[in-house]
Order: sequence, then C-alpha cells, then structure tokens
Amino acid sequence: MSLLRVRDLSVTFETGEGTVNAVNGVDLAVDAGQSVAVVGESGSGKSQIMFAIMGLLARNGRAAGSVVFDGTELLGLDESALNRIRSSQIAMIFQDPMSALNPYMRISHQMTEVLTLHKGKSRREALAEAIRLLDAMEVPAASTRIGMYPHEFSGGMLQRVLIAMALLCRPRLLIADEPTTALDATVRGQIMRLLADVRSTFGTAVILVTHDVGVVAGNCDEMVVLYGGRVMESGPVARLFAAPHHPYTRGLLDAVPRLDRDDERLRAIPGDPLSMNLLPAGCPFAARCPRVEERCHNERPAGSLPAPDRLVACHRPLEGAP
Amino acid sequence: MSAPLLSVRDLSVTFRVRPRGSPPWERAQALQAVRGVSFDLAPAETLGIVGESGSGKSTIARAVIGTVPASRGQALWRGKDLLALDAKQRRRLRRDIQMIFQNPLGALDPRMTAGEIIAEPLTTHERRLPRHDVKSRVAAMLERVGLLPEHIDRYPHEFSGGQCQRIGIARALVVQPKLVICDEPVSALDVSVQAQIVNLLQDLQRDLGLSLIFISHDLSVVKHIADRIMVIYLGRVMEHGAARDIVRVPRHPYTRALIASAPVPDPAIERGRRATVLEGELPSPLAPPSGCVFRSRCPIARRVCADEIPAMREFDNDHLAACPYETG
Repeated sequence: MSLLRVRDLSVTFETGEGTVNAVNGVDLAVDAGQSVAVVGESGSGKSQIMFAIMGLLARNGRAAGSVVFDGTELLGLDESALNRIRSSQIAMIFQDPMSALNPYMRISHQMTEVLTLHKGKSRREALAEAIRLLDAMEVPAASTRIGMYPHEFSGGMLQRVLIAMALLCRPRLLIADEPTTALDATVRGQIMRLLADVRSTFGTAVILVTHDVGVVAGNCDEMVVLYGGRVMESGPVARLFAAPHHPYTRGLLDAVPRLDRDDERLRAIPGDPLSMNLLPAGCPFAARCPRVEERCHNERPAGSLPAPDRLVACHRPLEGAP
Repeated sequence: MSAPLLSVRDLSVTFRVRPRGSPPWERAQALQAVRGVSFDLAPAETLGIVGESGSGKSTIARAVIGTVPASRGQALWRGKDLLALDAKQRRRLRRDIQMIFQNPLGALDPRMTAGEIIAEPLTTHERRLPRHDVKSRVAAMLERVGLLPEHIDRYPHEFSGGQCQRIGIARALVVQPKLVICDEPVSALDVSVQAQIVNLLQDLQRDLGLSLIFISHDLSVVKHIADRIMVIYLGRVMEHGAARDIVRVPRHPYTRALIASAPVPDPAIERGRRATVLEGELPSPLAPPSGCVFRSRCPIARRVCADEIPAMREFDNDHLAACPYETG
C-alpha cells in the first residue's frame, strides 16, 4: 500500500477575474521510503498540489478529490486532526529558507517549539535533540549556532536548519518544494546529498518538487511531469528519461543546456507556458506541441498505460525504446 | 584577433559596508567586490562571466558602464578610458553599450506600452529622429525579437516572462549598440523559454555583429552562447579561456567543481558521480581567505596557498588559470 495516495485532485481558486483551475485531476502515489519527483514549469500547479496535501491552500483555494495518507483521508479533515498529522507524519521545506523562519526568534526557540508542544518534551531534552539533528545535517558548531538568529546563517546553512527542523518529529514523508533553487551550484549538490542521506538514515519518503530535470536524474526513483495542472506523464525516472512517451517530456529534457554535449543550438519549446485562467478544452500542451493534430485541441487525452508502471496522457505518444 | 572593442585592465571595485547585524556606530568596512580583473573583448565576440552569488560578476559590468565607481584600473573603450569620463562624455558613449537585466518584468515600466518602452532609448539618444522613423524602427525591432505587431500597444503585465525579456532585448538593440551586457538574462525564465531567449540572443549577436558580455551563475547556459568564458570567485578571476577549453579541459579546481556540480539530465551519468560535491560555503566577501581566495574549499590546497595570491598562468593558447599546482 502506498504511504500517500492522491486521486483525481483538483485545486481551484476564486478570484476577482473568475475561477482559476490550478490543478485538474492529478493522481500521485508515494510508497514508504520512496523518492518521487514532481516536475513542472511555472504555473504547472506543482506547488499547489503540495499545499493541498498539507492543507495550506490560500483562503480562496478549494481542493477536491482525495488525498489519503496512511489510510486517513486528509481532505476535509478538521484542523486539530490535521495538525496531529502535520506535526508528526508529514513535513515540508520551501524554496526560500529565510522566509520560512521567524527573523525575531533564535533558531533554538523555533526548533524546540515543535518538541515541547507536540511531543511533551522538556526544554532541555528538546534542545539536546535539536542540536543532535543540526549535527546530523552537518551544521558546524551546532551547539553554538543554535543560539543564533536566522540572518546570521547563509542560505545553504538555513536550508540545513530547515531540514533538521522538518525531521525533529521523524516524519514519514518530507515534501521539499524547490529546496535548492535559491542556492548556489556548489551548495545545491550538498543539500541534495543531504536529502539522500535523510532517506537512507531515517527511511523518510521524499517528494521533490522542482523545475530542474537535471536534479531529478540523480536523486529520484519516480517522476511525475505536470503541465497546465495535469499529469502529462509519470513513471520510473530511469525509463522516463531514456524513452519519454509524451512530447512535452521530450521537449523539457531536450531544452536543458548540457555541459557534456556540444550542441550548437539549444532546443527550445516554442511558445509560452499556459496562463491558468485560459485552460484549453483539449490537451493543455497542444498549442506548443510539435506532434499536435486536430483532436488535440478539442479532446482531452485520457491517460493510457504503455507499461504497468507508466502513464501518458497523449493522443500521439512517442514510441521510444521499451 | 582584431583590436579589442573593450579592454579592461586590473579593475577593482571596493564598497564601504557595515556588516549585517552590526551596531550603527561601528565603522564601515571595505568590501572588495572585484579585484584585479582584466579581459579583452573583440568586436562581435561573446564573453561569458560565470560565478556564484556574491562573486562580483554583476559588479564588473556595473563598473564598466559607470553605475558603480571603480577603485582602480581602466576600461578602455576603443582606446578611451570609460572610468575617467565625465558624465556628459559617458552619456554619449552609453548609446554604444546597452544592458539587459535578470527580472524581465521588473526592468520594464508598468505604465508604458511595449512600443513606448522600446522607443524610449531612441528618443533619448537620437532626439532629431522624425516620429515616423521612430515608429518604423520600433516596429522592425519588435518583429526582429519575435513579437507580433499587435503587441506594440500592450502593457508589460499582459506579457509572459519570456515576452518581457524580448521587449527588454528590443529596447537594448533599438539604438544599434556595439556592446550589450546581459546580466543573468534567462535565470528567471522557465527552461523551455530560456532556450528560446538564448537562441534569440545568439542569432542577434551573429546577424548584427554585436559584442556580448553574458553574465550568469549557470555554466551550462554560458557555454552555449559564449566564445570565451571568465570564471570568477570572490571577486577574482580563477580561469579565463575559450569556452570549449574551459568546459573540456578545465585548469582550475574551482572550475572543475562547478562542472561537477552541474546536474546532467541523464540518470545513467548522474548516479555514477555522487562523490564530487564541493565542501563548505562561499566565505564572506568581508573576510576573504588570504592568498588564494578559493583555498578554504579547494580539494588540492596546500599550506603555501594561504601566503601568496596565485598569478595567472598560461596553459595553452590564451587559456589562463590562477592556480600554480594545477597540472591539468
């Protein structure tokens, strides 16, 4: 059984200019200890799926469908029951570590709060545990630095602090929303390695939300490709990279500039990402697709299963090697 | 190589700053953002400047165009030192050097239409140009950057990020500059659109015979557009050479670390190269390491690296690296 099972999830926002359909019928499954990448460009709905799972949608947002975590339906759960799960089972880290922390509170205060409030630990126990986790996340001089304020840390160090904080209650699922996007290249690798260590040491399942397919290649088991709030393709990372069936996945992989290749020109996808208040009736990628045909504009492709563990939503999928 | 269009020699930029969190009565410290940077840029050549945040890559560009004062050095523009010009002389030269910025929407005035934005440099620099000429040049530029004629009357918020960057490019090119400085022009864009803009800049550079300075934190992007690449770290040049050589036979341990940390979208390659992560973080530019600034994170550092600032060493033709222990 999956640890997390998202079925037919939709997220809509009521705005002054009408209803915005950010997520439209998304399916997603994460097994215990697994690492799943949710890949998409801006406006693909990738972050809104996570906010819906965590019950953190903006006030004008509504989630429909089903999000089952370890046998419990999370959508519609009351706040206190949700808090119990969020405090101990699912944790989330964000792109900008600075804005995820309170600038007026010492790290020690922010890290021990969870343990004293939810786990009934004494302040001294909580502090020792927090320092132990900072150590494990390779924050140098953890026992001194825990007394500092967020602004006294670099971006990379703060992301380590946030990962340590997320692990305090030993969650079974860690949602990492673009955790390395704001970091420098040489620090990005360190944080990705740390997340891999977290998985192997604590057995935590990880959902990595990212726009960067390069990061996915070395770090994830499964991958879900989103466009216009819909799943275009999903499956095991190795096979999806080797033989993508969806033209969008192909385009996304080809557009990445690579150091190990001598292409004269980058292979761009023509056109612009979708605007979410103008969702087309057919396939959301139709306007930019090189394999588009008449029905793509009018008829939304149902997901087909080219292999038991793969799904592709396309009228004219690429053949590719098996 | 033909005579350089721009020749920067021993450029240094120093800022007076108070460190974060320090009380207001504390004296400001000197932050050396750029130290001893030299390079030549030929006509129709593209120079890529690569570095992490705080490396000083944008400051180099700002010093050249005169928006931050240089503390030392020269920037010779066809023989004239840009750093020694008065405001009036600089204004005249500014037409020749244009800039494109990172945040495409933030760089455009929200109350001006695309047409007005693109026309503005023309009306500033070519005041006597008749109105219908302005109009036709704006229309031609709009088409040249891949926008449609009906876009001319729209406002920035009606465009996507990629389209905004096209407007920014049109505005820079409408006065027919000789050099365009692109400061992280694609960092805020989605991958699929990023490739469009890189290709567009490449086409324009070739067709118009422009010189480009392309500043980015992303070596993979720079490699695709630049003829030569300069890698900088904490304000100093680590390595400088032909783009192909820098990527294929890097001569500086920092460049090698940058290449190793650029993820490759291929699981088969990526899984095999876990071990090459650089340790530590960028030191504070207020207190850079003595000697070689990279030594605190360098995998091949020796004790003497703390004593001497390594000189630039020539490896092959025009391929320089600031590391005495590199054997290649």
